[in-house]
Amino acid sequence: MIESERQARVRKSTSLHLAMEAAETLRQITEFPDNPESMAYFYDLYQSRFKDGMILPQNGKKLVGTMCLQVPDELIVAAGAVPVRLCSGAYAFDQAGGDFMPAKSCPLVRATMGMLQVNNDTMKDNLSTIVIPTTCDQKRSSVEMLRNMDYPVTVLEMPASKESDEARTYWQESVKQFALSIQKTCGRKITAKALNAAVRTKLEAGKLFRSLQQLRTESHPVILGKDIWLVSNSYFFDDPDQWCKAVGKLIAELDSRKSAGFSAINRKAPRLLFTGSPPIFPNLKLPILVEQAGGLVVADETCSSERLLHDAVVFDEKNLNDMVPAIADRYLKPCTCPCLTPNTDRAKKILEMVRSNRVEGVVYQAFSGCLPYEMEQRGISDMLSREGVPMLFVETDYSPEDQGQLSTRVEAFIESIKVRKRKKQ
Amino acid sequence: MSSIRKFLNNSDINRFRFYFQLVAFGLLVYGGYLSINIGDQLPTFACVFDDKRGGSCYLMGFQHQMTFPYARLFSGAGIGILIGLLTFVGFFIIFNKAWCGFACPLGAIQDWLTMLRCKMGIYYSSYSEPVFKRLSTIKYILLALLILIPMGIGNSFFGLPTLNHDFGVPFCMICPGRTLLPLFNGDFSQLAIDFSSKTKMVFSGLGLGITGMFLAGAFAKKRFFCLFCPMSALHYIFSRASLLRLTKDGEKCTRCGNCYRVCDVGIRAIADDLEHINIVKDDCMMCLKCVSACPEDGCLKASFLGMPVYESTAEGFFRRRLKEDD
Ligand code: SF4
Ligand code: SF4
Ligand code: SF4
Ligand code: SF4
Repeated sequence: MIESERQARVRKSTSLHLAMEAAETLRQITEFPDNPESMAYFYDLYQSRFKDGMILPQNGKKLVGTMCLQVPDELIVAAGAVPVRLCSGAYAFDQAGGDFMPAKSCPLVRATMGMLQVNNDTMKDNLSTIVIPTTCDQKRSSVEMLRNMDYPVTVLEMPASKESDEARTYWQESVKQFALSIQKTCGRKITAKALNAAVRTKLEAGKLFRSLQQLRTESHPVILGKDIWLVSNSYFFDDPDQWCKAVGKLIAELDSRKSAGFSAINRKAPRLLFTGSPPIFPNLKLPILVEQAGGLVVADETCSSERLLHDAVVFDEKNLNDMVPAIADRYLKPCTCPCLTPNTDRAKKILEMVRSNRVEGVVYQAFSGCLPYEMEQRGISDMLSREGVPMLFVETDYSPEDQGQLSTRVEAFIESIKVRKRKKQ
Repeated sequence: MSSIRKFLNNSDINRFRFYFQLVAFGLLVYGGYLSINIGDQLPTFACVFDDKRGGSCYLMGFQHQMTFPYARLFSGAGIGILIGLLTFVGFFIIFNKAWCGFACPLGAIQDWLTMLRCKMGIYYSSYSEPVFKRLSTIKYILLALLILIPMGIGNSFFGLPTLNHDFGVPFCMICPGRTLLPLFNGDFSQLAIDFSSKTKMVFSGLGLGITGMFLAGAFAKKRFFCLFCPMSALHYIFSRASLLRLTKDGEKCTRCGNCYRVCDVGIRAIADDLEHINIVKDDCMMCLKCVSACPEDGCLKASFLGMPVYESTAEGFFRRRLKEDD
């Protein structure tokens, strides 16, 4: 009795903090001049989603939580459920997680665990299962912890490398087992027709997302990076059809901005690429700081944005025998997650993005406690310096405390790029 | 110009290929009715055993020429052989391996069997990639044999007795082209076992067996026979000289594997090779399915004499993928 009262109190205060945090991030985001009008959909979406704890989507369907973008959500949709990516960016939940998670763990995992702990009694009934792919150590270790909290957990076994044919076959089998288990969990058989529809929806979203990516790299900047994160982050939980409609509208608005020659920010703003540990709302601290300081994030290589929707499923025969492995391929072959070894594809991708988007500087974020991204930092930095592109490496977490110190570093970095640019001219 | 290019890049190569194959099949298998003769040294299976063909497969004449004794090979006849080979190469370099993807009647039959299987809702069979790759070296062995065996008729190797003339066109004897293509003109005579000599009996029996395997194999696995085809091995020798090229810009490739996924002959290098620009491998039939499945702008490209004819674009990719079932 006392315990549940305490739990209720914690939940209440966490919700309050979360709402304040979300409002603060939104305030900073909307404070920029010239926000596209059609971004209002997304601003409102976050407003309502975070105003009272973390509100899970509700439309009468079963909910399946996912803890990574490696989860083939097409299969969940085809089984008649709604996938929700649980990865949290909330400092309020991070603090709640701090009660029982190691001090040196990654804030993303800590916050996600904190959220699931604080909302344990409601969420464990709302979520039909939580799917956790065996990617990084900390996500893997969450499996047992969540089971101890009485959550139903589905483990999606993923190979630690993607190079060999054996790894590919193993993953395909793993995804097939996942399909079988998820249809049992959701109580609906996956049919080729339903799966095809789910794949198409994601393709449609991917197509729109690519157009948006294209627009953000225009030499007349028509949209800022901070807005792009809001758009891509909302794919975590928004209804895909609504999402597509809203993004379609945004694209139309940006297209007309483009033809009118309108710039949302000074055209000379240093063009930056953002990579590393994923910014997830409300923790958009670093991207916002960068753009407040006069930079423009024209591209990103993060699993909370670009990597979420860039790749596309292709299959040859419209039957489950070909479609399910095709979906598996989509999630493994192009993956640039630092959990994979070797991960040369990530460096290659960053280099390609730098070159094709005329990037002038790279911002590399690593969450303290996120070893995979921290360890890849050096290699990427060396590669970029050979390319003559400066990189700012930032180790940070979800707490707002380092904001002042970070903004000084970010400003200095952006200033140095501007100086370089002037010298070149 | 750019709008033509856009139109081409947005097009659905699979559909185009299907109709092209039909026309090519008609020409090569029935062209004789209209007295069409495209040529006698074609780099594709326009089978000589089909009376109504519209051109002739090079392998028959080539094997026949190989039976000449050395003395003849290196005198006047040598020139004839050279001209034959040059004609073959001339035909080949225009379209490169697209002869396989777009023209070969045996290739078309295999693709139709695949379509039939899909219509029947039967799954393809999976197999272990490495084993299959090893098996595919058989085509080079077949190529070597179809040169060496006929040579053994006109010449003695290492003092062994020469072979008799029943060994004249050994590959034709086992080629599914001989048994299957005449059927399309109502000629069933090649389906029998030839008892006139022991050699012929063995060869024609083998031929029937291989025909059975051709049909069953292609039904279960796309382009099964092509992996063993000596014509394809012969193609590959001249592939680099071709006017039609399939190239890859490794920098733009994300190794997403879409191209590998749809490749009927399972060429893994098409996705994983980031270094080579010319990406035509020996099993490739230049069907260009990979180009149509690649979502990266300008990553895979087919070009003729340096002019791009079909190029991967994100726009074309999504158009094709989202259109398909409407
Ligand atoms: S049997 Fe085969 S190799 Fe011989 S001519 Fe006919 S198609 Fe060509
Ligand atoms: S590989 Fe041989 S059988 Fe296959 S399409 Fe080419 S020539 Fe025809
Ligand atoms: S489809 Fe294109 S991007 Fe993907 S692996 Fe093949 S060539 Fe590379
Ligand atoms: S590599 Fe491309 S062109 Fe060659 S066979 Fe495979 S899909 Fe066709």
